[in-house]
Amino acid sequence: MTLIPAFVSYEFADRKELCLSLAARSGRRIMLVPPLFDEMNRMRKMLIDVMRSLETLEIASFLPDLPGTNESLLPLEQATLSDWQKALEACAQQHQISHIASFRGGALAVAEMQSADHWVFSPVKGGTILRTMMRTKVASDREAGLNTSLAELAARAKAGPLELAGNIIGSDLFTQLNAADIPTMKNQRIVRLESDNKPGDVQIPGTALWLRAEPDDDLAMSAAIAQDIAIWIGQ
Amino acid sequence: MQNKVELTPEAAVRAVMRDILGLSEVQVAEFTAETELFGALPELDSMAVAGLLTELEDRLDIMIDDDEVDGELFETFGNLVAFAEMKVTG
Repeated sequence: MTLIPAFVSYEFADRKELCLSLAARSGRRIMLVPPLFDEMNRMRKMLIDVMRSLETLEIASFLPDLPGTNESLLPLEQATLSDWQKALEACAQQHQISHIASFRGGALAVAEMQSADHWVFSPVKGGTILRTMMRTKVASDREAGLNTSLAELAARAKAGPLELAGNIIGSDLFTQLNAADIPTMKNQRIVRLESDNKPGDVQIPGTALWLRAEPDDDLAMSAAIAQDIAIWIGQ
Repeated sequence: MQNKVELTPEAAVRAVMRDILGLSEVQVAEFTAETELFGALPELDSMAVAGLLTELEDRLDIMIDDDEVDGELFETFGNLVAFAEMKVTG
C-alpha cells in the first residue's frame, strides 16, 4: 500500500509553517530541505518521490516549507537566510529529527546545524543562485528595451526589495545569500551526479532536474537518492 | 573525496544542454555544430539560458560577463561550444 504524504506543521516566530510528512512508521526520521526559489518548484516532485522511496525503506521524512515560500503566510520579501536557518532548527527540534538531507541551495539554510548529520545533494553557493536569477531579470528587461547589468541589479538589491525571476527578494536575504558559501559540516556526506566533476563523497546516476525548463521527475534518481540516504543513516 | 576531473568545454555544453532539455545521452550526442538552439528549441527560454550560463561557469570554472552574451551565442550548438572553448583557454 502506498501511503499518501500528509501536512503537519512546525512553529516558528509565532506562526505555523507547513511541513509535508510521510511518517507512518516509527523509527528513523529525516528532514529534507528543498532547493531555493525556482529550483524548489522544479525538484518538488522528485523530492516527494524520494519521500515515498524512503517510506518503503522504513525511514520517516519531513519536507518543511521555508518561511516565505510555498504555503507560508510570511511575505517572501521579509524572509532572511538567518530566519530560514532558525526555522529549520525549530522544525527539526519539534519533530525530533537528527538527520538532514539538503538539496542544492537548501544546504545554505542548514549550515548552522553543526550537531546534526548532514547528507548534502549537489550544494551550490548563494551567489550562484542569485546570479542565475539576476540573469533572467537582465534578459526580461532586455526584451522590454531596458539595458540592465548584473552589477546594477546587485546594487539595487542591497538598497531594497528587488523582483528577480518572480521572487521579491529583500536586501537582507540578498546580502546573506550572496555571502553564503557551500557550508562544511562536521558530519557530512556530499552527493553529486555522475555527470558532475566537482568533489564529493559519492556519485549517483541522474540528471540535473534543477536546470530543466519545466518541473520533471526522475524516478531512478529518486530511488538512488533514497537508497544512498538509507545506507548513510544505517552506518 | 574524489578528485576533480577535467571536463572538455564541448562535453560540458553537451551535458548542460542534455539536462536543460531532458534529453537522453544518445539524443544529445546527435547535436552537431550546425544544430540550431535559440528559437528552434522552445525549452530554451530566457530563464533556461540564464541557468545554462551559470551552470557553464560552475562546471568550467569560468566567469561570463553580460556584454559577452548576445543572440548569436545561442544560434547554434557550434557557436556555444566555440565560446566555451574560448573562455576556457582564455
